[in-house]
Amino acid sequence: MLERCEELTRDTSLPSVRAWKERTGGVAIGFLPIYVPRELLHAQGVLPVGLMGGGEIEIIRGDAYYQSYICHLPRSTVELGLNGSLDCLDGMIFPAICDVIRNLSGMWQMMFPAKLVHYLDVPQDFDRSMGGRFYRHELGVLSQKLVEAGARPLDPDALRASIRTYNVHHGLVAELYELRRREPWRVPTAELYVMLRAGLVLPVEEHNGMLGEYLEAVRADESRRPMDQARVLLTGSFCEQPPLGLIKTLERAGCYIVDDDFVQVSRWFRHALPEDGDPVEALVEAFLDDAIPGPTRYVDEGEKGRDLIERVERAGAEGVLFCAPSFCDPALLDQPMGTAAATRAGIPWTAFKYSEDTGQFQVIREQAGTFADSIKLWSEVTTP
Amino acid sequence: MRAAAIMPAAVPDQLTAGIDVGSATVKVALMRVGDGCGEVLVEGRSERIRRREPEVVAAGLFDDVLGAAGVERKQLDYVATTGEGELVAFRTGHFYGMTTHARGARYLEPGADACIDVGALHARAILMDARAKVLGYRMTSQCASGSGQFLENISRYLGVTMGEIGTLSLKADVPEPCSSICAVLAETDVINMVSRGISTANILKGIHLSMAGRYVKLLNSAGAKHVVLVTGGLAADVGLMAALREHAAESGASFTIRGHEHSALAGAIGAALWGAFRARKIARLGVSLEEASAGA
Repeated sequence: MLERCEELTRDTSLPSVRAWKERTGGVAIGFLPIYVPRELLHAQGVLPVGLMGGGEIEIIRGDAYYQSYICHLPRSTVELGLNGSLDCLDGMIFPAICDVIRNLSGMWQMMFPAKLVHYLDVPQDFDRSMGGRFYRHELGVLSQKLVEAGARPLDPDALRASIRTYNVHHGLVAELYELRRREPWRVPTAELYVMLRAGLVLPVEEHNGMLGEYLEAVRADESRRPMDQARVLLTGSFCEQPPLGLIKTLERAGCYIVDDDFVQVSRWFRHALPEDGDPVEALVEAFLDDAIPGPTRYVDEGEKGRDLIERVERAGAEGVLFCAPSFCDPALLDQPMGTAAATRAGIPWTAFKYSEDTGQFQVIREQAGTFADSIKLWSEVTTP
Repeated sequence: MRAAAIMPAAVPDQLTAGIDVGSATVKVALMRVGDGCGEVLVEGRSERIRRREPEVVAAGLFDDVLGAAGVERKQLDYVATTGEGELVAFRTGHFYGMTTHARGARYLEPGADACIDVGALHARAILMDARAKVLGYRMTSQCASGSGQFLENISRYLGVTMGEIGTLSLKADVPEPCSSICAVLAETDVINMVSRGISTANILKGIHLSMAGRYVKLLNSAGAKHVVLVTGGLAADVGLMAALREHAAESGASFTIRGHEHSALAGAIGAALWGAFRARKIARLGVSLEEASAGA
């Protein structure tokens, strides 16, 4: 199962999506990080397909669209679009993450005029009468565009059913994270990561089954035993994702990653959504009140970093890895507030950057290795 | 062999192993650590990898060392790896190479404030405090001209064994200068020297001096002041050690270069000692390794 998940993560030509379309004839819509209301797409019969960039693919045409000081994800996404990898998609949703992604949505409209292209604007005012009204309207616009792209109209009962299905998914992902928090040796993050990535290109029902199977297997696997590693929280990797090799490197270097920012669409809400009542309102209210804080969501100035400290405490982490993509404005602009909060709280931290196609991990290995050593050996005062 | 214990603890003696997987050699050290015995090297060995899987060599050597000491795996409180030892599946924990060489150096030479780890692929000057905490380091760049692998290549060109290099180098009377920047240029230099009829001893001494020059620069740059222990496999090369002392004296360095019969085992010894430290730390918390890993 893990091999298949890794293959689904690596294969940017989306074979599972192509197979789904052949089987069902349905509409498949791609979306970029971080969050889109997958329940809404699912309820209209659409397969939501999470795109996390091109990984290690060679960029030929994508580089022509962006300056060298722009992150890697948009240029690899352009490359995938232009080399035909995304032909199986009937459209794309670009959530409001940063200016680069906003610009990418405009470019996409020009490059692929025959396809659905939607920039999903989201509120930064979390008052119901303002942000709530705005977001409900945005969801309506999105739903209508999906219909125009061939999806069925939104039906409240279907949306409630989709919410139930995604609540199962939410629960399984939460279970996976909780098991890793408690027994990190049972759930290596490299495995958790490919499990989550596979979920981006599979129907949610199929992924729910895989998650359940994986949880059962690792709980029963007696060969997985604890090692003496430093428990760390990894933050900053919510959009462009690190290469799998980097995650493996961090774990081999002596770190147990016990919380992270990977594939946040699976954990965007803290709790399951209400399964009765107005289902659109359930999506709106959850977005306003229950979404996890992050750099792309407005947080009052004085409160920046507080969530990080709370996460460290909840996870029982001994240190923080600030692991952000190069040139990622949201992550890197928030980082000084995070590092300051960690320093104030006496939490050890270290910071490094990556690109989705980083292939050499030696420097990061040394940095993470010495960081883990410093936690294990010097986190308490020792008497000479 | 004893060194000052750095942690007080009312816990039983610890029996720990350190496995240092290098690019050319695997080293294993078995240590006993406790209030009563101090820190004792029970057994230590090294073995060349020679185109085998490093993990396989490590497992075999580990069992050999335990066998020689009459110890079973289950008696060990901690199996610590270092170097490329993160691939050894049966480890309890892994420590980074600089951390372990610093600790091993303080064990072998308690007065050392720095060590220089000269391995097959690179050299690292490491500055540490009395607790063996790494304070700073400097490392050779990617070029292999400061490494054991380079010396091994040269010995092959010259038709001498690695074991002969040191004593031959000591016999040099007019050392021939050699490139200290680039292994490729240095190897070209050596070919020219051979064709010019320079003696093997003078070629080797020239190479030793060129390598020593790089190491002394690293040590000065790292801030070494007093005693420097040479760790890693090349510490056994008496010619290199002599060249290091000559260079340090000529450059006016304030530090003294020392070697030790177990210098090659420094990483493994350091890993075993840090393993004991962690085992005692976890024992003091009154939790199992499982509970500690779970963030208890």
